[in-house]
Amino acid sequence: MLNTSRSPLTGKRVQLMATCICDAFYDDVAVATVQVLEHLGCTVEFPEGQTCCGQPAFNCGDWPASRKVVRHTVRTFSGEVPVVVPSGSCAAMLFHGAPLEFEKEADLPAVEALGRRAWELADFIVNGLGVKTWPGKYEAKAAFHRSCHSRGTASGTAADQLLCSIAGLTVIPFGEGEQCCGFGGTFSVSFPNISGGMGRLKLEHIRAAQPDLLVSGDMSCMMHLGGLAEREGKPIRTQHISQVLRDALRNGGLL
Amino acid sequence: MSDSREQILGRVKAALKELPERAPLPDWYADLVVLREARGVTDAWALFAERMKLVNGTPLTSAAELVKLLDGKGWRRGYCDPELLPTLKPAFPDSFKIETSFDRTRVDDYDFGITRATGAIAETGTLILSEADTPTRLAALAPWVHVAAIRRDQIYVDIPHAVSSLPADPNIIWCTGPSKTADVEGILIEGVHGPGMQIALLV
Amino acid sequence: MANQQIDQFAATLPRDKRASVYQSTKGTHEKRTKMLWDQYADPNRLREIAGEVKQHVIENLDTYLPQVEAKLKANGAQVHWAATGEEACEAVHRIMKARGATKMVKAKTMVSEEIELAHYLEKQGMEALETDLGEFIVQIDHDHPSHIVRPIIHKNRREIATSFEREGLGDYNDDPQTITLRARRFLRQKYLEADVGLTGANFVSVESGRVVLVTNEGNSRFCLAATKCHIVLVGIEKLVPRDRDLGLLLNLLGRSGTAQQLTVYTEFISGPKAAGRPDGPEEMHVIFVDNGRTEVLATECRDILRCIRCGACLNVCPIYRQASGHAYRSVYPGPVGAVLSPLLMKERFPEKADLPKASSLCGACQEVCPVNIPIPDLLLRLRDKAKEEHVPSPGTPPMGVWALMASQPAAWKAALVGGRMMNILPTKMLPVPALRAWEDQRTLPAWKGGAFRKWMRNRPAKGDRS
Repeated sequence: MLNTSRSPLTGKRVQLMATCICDAFYDDVAVATVQVLEHLGCTVEFPEGQTCCGQPAFNCGDWPASRKVVRHTVRTFSGEVPVVVPSGSCAAMLFHGAPLEFEKEADLPAVEALGRRAWELADFIVNGLGVKTWPGKYEAKAAFHRSCHSRGTASGTAADQLLCSIAGLTVIPFGEGEQCCGFGGTFSVSFPNISGGMGRLKLEHIRAAQPDLLVSGDMSCMMHLGGLAEREGKPIRTQHISQVLRDALRNGGLL
Repeated sequence: MSDSREQILGRVKAALKELPERAPLPDWYADLVVLREARGVTDAWALFAERMKLVNGTPLTSAAELVKLLDGKGWRRGYCDPELLPTLKPAFPDSFKIETSFDRTRVDDYDFGITRATGAIAETGTLILSEADTPTRLAALAPWVHVAAIRRDQIYVDIPHAVSSLPADPNIIWCTGPSKTADVEGILIEGVHGPGMQIALLV
Repeated sequence: MANQQIDQFAATLPRDKRASVYQSTKGTHEKRTKMLWDQYADPNRLREIAGEVKQHVIENLDTYLPQVEAKLKANGAQVHWAATGEEACEAVHRIMKARGATKMVKAKTMVSEEIELAHYLEKQGMEALETDLGEFIVQIDHDHPSHIVRPIIHKNRREIATSFEREGLGDYNDDPQTITLRARRFLRQKYLEADVGLTGANFVSVESGRVVLVTNEGNSRFCLAATKCHIVLVGIEKLVPRDRDLGLLLNLLGRSGTAQQLTVYTEFISGPKAAGRPDGPEEMHVIFVDNGRTEVLATECRDILRCIRCGACLNVCPIYRQASGHAYRSVYPGPVGAVLSPLLMKERFPEKADLPKASSLCGACQEVCPVNIPIPDLLLRLRDKAKEEHVPSPGTPPMGVWALMASQPAAWKAALVGGRMMNILPTKMLPVPALRAWEDQRTLPAWKGGAFRKWMRNRPAKGDRS
């Protein structure tokens, strides 16, 4: 496991890292995340100065640029409370990627400290708060795309566990579920043919299972897969796990 | 050459000098790699035979069975280890032509080669050959059929036991089923260079 | 917007080639996974320990190399050292010349591919024949292997049948069984005529000096049964400390590489044959090859030297499956090759600096690696290295302006609001190449920059919320 050295939870105050992709495109995912956390009794703080986790430059190999952004993020998310992120890849950037690029930097301890406070949303709900089943209802057949940054973390299992517990929701398996969707950040634009090929293969597998919607813990995968499907003229309904959880609460009259 | 040696070792030393600490050698227990199927086995031959069939090997329990199989296929010319011949000879009818030395100038004249195994591994269906017991390497390799004679008391249950009992022999080989390849379109074909049929004969 | 070489290669790969690479890698990967999880309670624990063993080895090579050398010599083998590929080729040539040998049969070894041994020997007027079926076909076609374990994964039976016909191995026949039997017939004469057998080594035990070889076809066994001189070409990183560690590594190698419990032949060779035995080499030479490995050892990417060449990371890799092996322009393709190949280039690193970019960093490679190499981390380190050395990277958007904005909240917020123009202007007119590349294949969702912040700010205070 990548993130085992986490500090134990003490209270129910959390900081939300909304992620740049939700900040720019998917406001409702961030809204749903807040609503879900508040339903669980958390007090959600949103540090206004937040921008991005630093991952784009990190993945491109521009580590000096990435470190600049990570330093800003470390300053912005000061304090002791957990930082909850509705994205497996941004969470992994905080607890794995950033410490890697700060290996030889003097401020490594501060970066690592933020990493120990960082939680992906489903992981936080199940393993942080100890909530293993989800109330409400959601009538649908859902395909759950286990995003790649959940490898080596507890996020994939946690999300699956929550989804499977929702009344009315059936999580259906599809072929080669462990394979990447082909997004990969800037990989998607510098390797357009391979990225597109991977995405189309993923869509083929998903469509073969005939789900009503596609769920993931990472909106970047959804943006890629959803965008490909729409361009193919065969759009597919996508939701972030926070939206499914929030909608289940709504459908059950709990919100 | 000795220059190269010093150069390489020098570069290795220089590369490792910077490491603040070296990774320790982990201890691990053989139990970790023992198959679920191989736990608590009492009849090692039975497990061996079952696993050998899974890799398309042919376990046999009598010389009569062996003769029937070979005769049925018309494989009647072969090599037999001189130490094994006295025990096996009575089972072979006169129609068989068996030699006790292997002539490398006519490797294709032999349908089968019968040699002595040094051991076997039950969990993998593997036969163990060594130079001491199978000095005629070609006889166990070039004919289409290789027969290795094995005794019950020579069978190890699992790989860790077989590894810890490797004899001091310059050439030990574990054979797990017939020679095979899947190089052409991933299709399994047996008998590429070595035997197309691997037999274990319990003696 | 120009894209990366590997992506261009993938775009021109014939559909049937991609399909056959995909089917075959997917099949092996799935069998491998099922086998490991059916047979062991916790295969990941095995991978971790095996990784620790190999990491220990590479971090203690200064101790282990002299130890194994002494052991090999005591066993009756002669030990040679080659700092470069050229030196390794020369060492082989010297051994052959000293014996008056002209004909070599070769088992499959990646190091010999790396140093282009067969070409070298042919230039010296020696015959160096590949005996692994796939490598034999590669050789007669003057091609290159495209997979570490399955060299001709990119060829179909019709191409092979045509090559066999051309080489006089029989009339056109594309039945795999016939192809294989024709190779059997042709090659066995070659073994018997050869003076020297050359193999690689999957492992060399420091404790006993045993050289361990795994094959399925039995060709390496034939090389060692028929010839009188055995040359082992081995990278300096291939050591294991103790014989018992082989129990762990062999259990992982077969399963990871070809979804077999064990490969058909596992050989433990600790020296020349004993006096008076009819078959087997009377001389054994072990050549330890550096050829860039010590340079790798000096970097933060040294973990890649744990690799046991099983090919599992190639089989699972979605990029390898789309692009196939030749896209990597290297002896070692796939995820392991994307790390190892640029590093082995030494000062010519920039020529292969694009390889580490060919990854979505999905991490599947590490998840299947029998020695748990953190391949994604190593790919990232090499991307950093390429950037530091100012190697151009086509298609990769520049990050400077982004970093400036993302470290200044005011600029960031302004950009979030400013981004609205994306919803007004056609994307083709936007001055951002990456967005245009995105839109070639995918739609972009509507820009909602700042909308969440507004919602968060404008909601009623906590006590007033229902």
